[in-house]
Amino acid sequence: MPHRTATHPFALAAAALAALAGVATAGEPPTGEQLYKQHCLRCHGPAGEGTKKAPRPLVGDRSVIQLGKLVDETMPEDDPDKLDAAESLRVAEYVHGAFYSPTAQARLKPARVALSRLTVAQYRNAVAELVGSFRPAPQPDDRRGLKGEYYNARAFRGDKKVFDRIDPGVRFDFGTEPPEKDKFDPHQFSIRWEGVVLPPESGTYEFVVRTEHATRLWVNDQKAPVIDAWVKSGADTEFRGAVDLLAGRAYPIRLEFSKAKQGVDDSKKQKKDRPVPPASVALLWKRPHGAVEVLPADYLSPGSAPTGFVVTTPFPPDDRSLGWERGTTVSKEWDAATTDAALETVGYVAARLEELAGVRPVDTTRADNSGNPSELSTDAKKRADVPAAERAEKLRAFARRFAERAFRRPLTPEMERQYVARPFERVAPEAGAKRAVLLVLKSPRFLYREAGAETDAYAVASRLAFALWDSPPDDELLKAAAEEKLSTPEQVREQADRMLRDSRAKAKVRDLLLTWLKVKQPPDLAKDPKRFPGFDDATAADLRTSLERFLDAVASSEDADFRRLLLDDRVPVNERLAKLFGVAGPEDGPGWRAVPLDPGRRAGVLTHPYMLAAFAYTAESSPIHRGVFIARGVLGLNLRPPQEAFTPLAPDLHPKLTTRERVALQTRPQNCATCHAVINPLGFTLESFDAAGRLRATDRGKPVDAAGAYHTRDGADVTFAGPVELARFLADRPEVHAAFVEQAFHQLIRQPVRAYGPDKLDELRKDFAANGYNIRKLLAAVAVTGALGGKDQVR
Amino acid sequence: MTRFRSRRDFLRDLGIGASALPFVGNLPSLGFANQARRKQRLVVMFSPNGVIPGAFWPTGEGADFALPTILQPLEPFKKQTLSLHGVCDRIRGDGDGHMRGIGCLLTGIELFPGNIQGGSDTPAGWSSGISIDQEVRNYLQKDAATRTRFGSLEFGVLVPDRADTWTRMSYAGPNKPLTPVDDPYQMFQKLYGRAKDRELLASVLDGVTDDLKAVAGAVGSEDRKLLDEHATFVREMEKELRESAAAAAGHPVPELEPGVREENNNIPAISKMQIDLMVNAFQADFTRVATLQYTNSVGMARMRWLGVDEGHHELSHEPDSNEKAVEKLTKINTWFCEQLAYLAKRLAETPEPGGPGSMLDNTVLIWTNELGKGNSHTLDNIPFVLVGGGLDFKAGRALKFPRVPHNRLLMSLAHGFGHRVKTFGNPDFCGDGPLNLA
Repeated sequence: MPHRTATHPFALAAAALAALAGVATAGEPPTGEQLYKQHCLRCHGPAGEGTKKAPRPLVGDRSVIQLGKLVDETMPEDDPDKLDAAESLRVAEYVHGAFYSPTAQARLKPARVALSRLTVAQYRNAVAELVGSFRPAPQPDDRRGLKGEYYNARAFRGDKKVFDRIDPGVRFDFGTEPPEKDKFDPHQFSIRWEGVVLPPESGTYEFVVRTEHATRLWVNDQKAPVIDAWVKSGADTEFRGAVDLLAGRAYPIRLEFSKAKQGVDDSKKQKKDRPVPPASVALLWKRPHGAVEVLPADYLSPGSAPTGFVVTTPFPPDDRSLGWERGTTVSKEWDAATTDAALETVGYVAARLEELAGVRPVDTTRADNSGNPSELSTDAKKRADVPAAERAEKLRAFARRFAERAFRRPLTPEMERQYVARPFERVAPEAGAKRAVLLVLKSPRFLYREAGAETDAYAVASRLAFALWDSPPDDELLKAAAEEKLSTPEQVREQADRMLRDSRAKAKVRDLLLTWLKVKQPPDLAKDPKRFPGFDDATAADLRTSLERFLDAVASSEDADFRRLLLDDRVPVNERLAKLFGVAGPEDGPGWRAVPLDPGRRAGVLTHPYMLAAFAYTAESSPIHRGVFIARGVLGLNLRPPQEAFTPLAPDLHPKLTTRERVALQTRPQNCATCHAVINPLGFTLESFDAAGRLRATDRGKPVDAAGAYHTRDGADVTFAGPVELARFLADRPEVHAAFVEQAFHQLIRQPVRAYGPDKLDELRKDFAANGYNIRKLLAAVAVTGALGGKDQVR
Repeated sequence: MTRFRSRRDFLRDLGIGASALPFVGNLPSLGFANQARRKQRLVVMFSPNGVIPGAFWPTGEGADFALPTILQPLEPFKKQTLSLHGVCDRIRGDGDGHMRGIGCLLTGIELFPGNIQGGSDTPAGWSSGISIDQEVRNYLQKDAATRTRFGSLEFGVLVPDRADTWTRMSYAGPNKPLTPVDDPYQMFQKLYGRAKDRELLASVLDGVTDDLKAVAGAVGSEDRKLLDEHATFVREMEKELRESAAAAAGHPVPELEPGVREENNNIPAISKMQIDLMVNAFQADFTRVATLQYTNSVGMARMRWLGVDEGHHELSHEPDSNEKAVEKLTKINTWFCEQLAYLAKRLAETPEPGGPGSMLDNTVLIWTNELGKGNSHTLDNIPFVLVGGGLDFKAGRALKFPRVPHNRLLMSLAHGFGHRVKTFGNPDFCGDGPLNLA
C-alpha cells in the first residue's frame, strides 16, 4: 500500500492564525487582493497577465494550498521572507480565484462551441463514404486470413483447381515440393489469395511481395495492380508498391502467384525428370511509420468489399495546439487543398459515372466496320436518342443524392436549385454532373461540420457520427433523423451504442487511447545496438503492435474497465518478443498471446515495454520523460515547459552516478525544482526498467532505487515503492479519471468541454465512475452530450 | 528492386496537385528558359511483324531513288525522307525473335533472363538497359534550356492490356519498361486535365461565393469571421484563375471526338486522335520526345477497313509464295506509312512556334519494326525510315549499309541532339561510332 502522510488543511489554517496573533497592528489584516497589489502587481500585472519583468501569465492548476506554499517559499523574488505563510495563503486565495485557476480562466474567457470545418481525417473519411455510398456495402466475414485457391496449372483455370482453404497469411516456402504431394506438378502450379485487408490506421501502406516466380498484387483498385511482377526479369525477388488506405474500412486484396514459365506454354515439350526449381512466396506490408512484417492474419479477412476511394491530395495539418485536432482555423493552403482534393474526386467520379450513377455509356458502337470515325449509323443515332433523356435524369438524380449525402441532410427547394438545377444549365449532363460534384465539395455545407446552424435531428446525427467515427452519418442514422428518432438522450444513446460496435468506432477508440498515451505519432524507438542487441526496427514495430493489442483487448472487453489499462500485467507477445523477454510465446508459431511479464513487477500501460522504450533515450532510461508523461498525460497536470532547453547530463561525465542521481543533480536548482519536485519522483518509480523496457535490478552497478512520491492536490504526501503501487494509486484517482474524460471529450467532440457548461466535465467523470469506468459507456455519454448540445443548444 | 508508380505520381503528372502554379508550362509567350535555342524533336513510330522487303525498300541508292509501294504515301515528303537499309539488330541472348525484336530495338542491349517463354529460344524478362528515346529525354531534361513539362510522351494504339516483353518498347532503365498510353482520352487528361479542371472550377466559383455568403448569414458574428476569411481565399483563387486564363490565351485546348472505344475497328480513329494530340503537345512544347506504338510485337490487328480480315501476325507467317498474303501485308504496311505521312503532313503544315520553318523541319520521325521480315523472323535489315529535318541528317536519300549493328544508329540519334555518347546499349556493337548520316 502506498504510504500517506496526510496534512490536514486545518493544521495550516491554525498555523496561520497563530502567526496572525503575534501581529500587534490594529485594524483588519490586509486582504489577499491588497497584498497582491502591494507586492506582486509590479511584476505580474493587474490581472496576472505578466509584464516585461515576469512575462509569463499567472495561470496554472496548483491548488490554493500548493500555490500558497510556493508563494511563501519563493515570493516576492527579491525577499521571499516579506510575506509569512498566512499572507502567502491569502495572496494565493485571491490569485487562484481571480485569474490563476482554470475555472477563473473559464470565467474570464468563456469557452464557446466554435464553427469548425472538417478536420483532415474527417474530410478524407467523408469523401470516401460519399463515393462509397454509391457502391454496394462490404460483406464482412469474422474469420481472419485470406481465401487461397490452389491450382495444378500455371494459370487459374477452374477445372484445374485442386482445393481452396483459408490461409492465416501468405508466408510459404515450398522448396522443390508442391503445396501438397501428388496433387500438383511440382514444376508448375499457381495460387490465388483473395479477401479484404483491414487497415488499423489511416495512411500510406507499403505492400511487399517476395517470390522467385510470377506474381501480381491488387489492393483496393481491382483493375490496376499495385505490384505487377508477372514478368520475372533478372535477379529481383522483392517487389513493392504503396497504397493509401483509411482506418476502420475494408479494402479488397488479391494476390496471384504462378510457379511456371509464362508466355508461350511449352511444358508439354519439357523433359519429365528435369530439376525442380525452388518456390516461395510471402506477402508483407509496412504500416505507416512501421517496419516491414508479414501481413498479420488480424488485418486480413476472407470477406469481400468494393473498391473504395481515398483522396490522396496532401492537406496542411490541423491545429493540434490544444492536444487534439480541431478545425477552427482556415488557411489559403487548406482552401487550395480542398480545391485540389475536390478536383481529384471529380476526376475519379467522372471516370466512373457509369458505375456510380447507374447510367449506360454513351452509345458509340459503330454499326459499320468502315473505321470511319465521323459517321454513326442512323440506327445507332436513333437508339441513342431515347436513353439520352433517361441518362440526363439519372445524372441529375445522382447529383441530388450526392449533395444530400455530402450535406448530411435532405435538400430544401432552394438547395435543390442551387446544387442540382443550376450546374446542369446549358451544358451536357455529364458536364453538369461534374459541376454539381465540384460545387458540393467546395460548399461550406460540406466543408463545415455545423454550417448553417440547423438545430434539427440531422444536425444531431452529424454530430454523433463525427464524434464516434470522424465520418458522416450512415444510412441508419439518417433514417433515424428522418423519423425524428434522435430527440431524447435515450434515442441518441441507442444509436451511439450501435455505432460503437462498428469498426470505425474501434479505430477511433484506439486513436483516442494512443493520443492519451502521447504516442499517436509513433516516436522513434531506435536503441543503442551495443546495449540492446536484437532491438531492431522489427522489434520496435512488434512492441507497437503489442501495445495496440493490449489497448484493443481492454477496450473491446466486456467491462472495458479503464482501470485495467493501468493495472493489467499481461502483455501480448509474439515469437520475437517472447524470445526478447524470455517468456513462453504463442505455441503455434506466428500469432500473439498475452502473457504475464515479470509477474508482480509490472502494471498496465505505464510498464508496457513500448511506453518505457518510447519515454527513454537510446541507451539510458529517462525519468524526466516518464515523469512528465505521468504528470501531464495521466494526472492531467498543467506543467510549464522548462525555461530554457537543457541537454541531459552525459552519463560518461558522471560514471559513478545512477540515472536517478544524475537527474536529481541536474534539476536541483530552485527554478527547476518547482516542477521537477513533481516530475522526478513520479518518473523514478519506473527506474526498474531500462531504455528498452526490460526489467533491471541495477543501474551503473548500484541497486535500482524505484521509490517515488506524489503530493496530492488535497495536500497528502503519497509514497510508492515502485511502479505497481504507483499504478494502483493512479487507477483510483479522480484527477486521473477527469484527465481521461477530458481527453476523450476533446478527441470526440473537438470542442472545449467547458463550452458545454462549467460542471459538464465533473458530471461526465461521476457518470464514468458510476459505470465502473467503462470506456465504451463513457464514449457513448460524451457522444450524446456533444450530439445534443451543439452550437445552437449551448447558446 | 522494382518501383511502381503511385496514383499520387500520376496525379502529379496530371498537374492536379499544383493549384498554386500557373497551369501553362512552357508557353512561348511566357518566355521560359527553354525557348531561346532551336527546338529539336524525336518521334519513334513502331509497327509490328516485319515488312515485305521488295515493297518496302526503295530502288536505287543515294539521292537517286524511287519510293516503292509501301512508301508511296511519303511522296510529298520525299526530299525529307531517308531510308536506311542494312542496319541490323545484332543483339542475341534470351528471348525469341519478336521479344528481342521489340525489347532490344531501342535499347541495343540483351534482355534479362526471366520467366517469359517465347515461341522459341530461352525464356526472358525485360530489357537490361534504357531505350534511346529515354536517353535523349533525360539528356534534354537535364538542361533548363531544353527541359519540358513531360520530357517524353509514350503514345500507343491498341496496345494489349498486358505488360510483357512483347508489349513494351521504351525503357526508363534496366527492368523499367514504360507503359504506352493507348487511350486518347487518358492522354488528353494527362496533357490538358489541368486546363480542363480550371475551366470547370471557374464555372462554379460564383456558386461557391454565393454559398459562403448564404451560410455566413446564418451564423453568429464570431463564426462569421472564419467564413469571411474563407471567402477571401476563394476570391484570391478566382483572381489567379483569371490571370492564368489570360496567359493561356492563344493556346487552345484541342477537342476530341467523344466516345471512341478501344477496339480493333477504331484503330484508324484512335491513330488520328493520337497523332493530333502529339502535334498539339509539340506545339505547346509539352515534350520533345515521343513514341507511337501500334499494337505490339506479334500484333494481331485485323485491318477490316482495308478489306483484310486475317490478323496481322498470322498473315506475316505466310510464305513469300502466298501472293494474296503478300498483297495484304503490303496493304497493311502501306496503311502504317499513311499514318507516318499524316504525322509528317500535320507537322509540315504547322509553323515552328517562335522559330523559322515548319515543325517538321525541327523534328525527326523514325518508323521502325521489330523484325526485318515476318516469315523469317530475321533481325537483319530492320526497317528504318526517317522523315524530317530535326537532327540535320542529309535527307532525300536511300542509304545502304553493309550489315551495321543498329546500336550505331541509336548513337547517331543521341549525337543528333548533341548528346555525344561513346557507346549505347551493348558496347560490343558500337565499335565504329555513330552512323554518319550528315
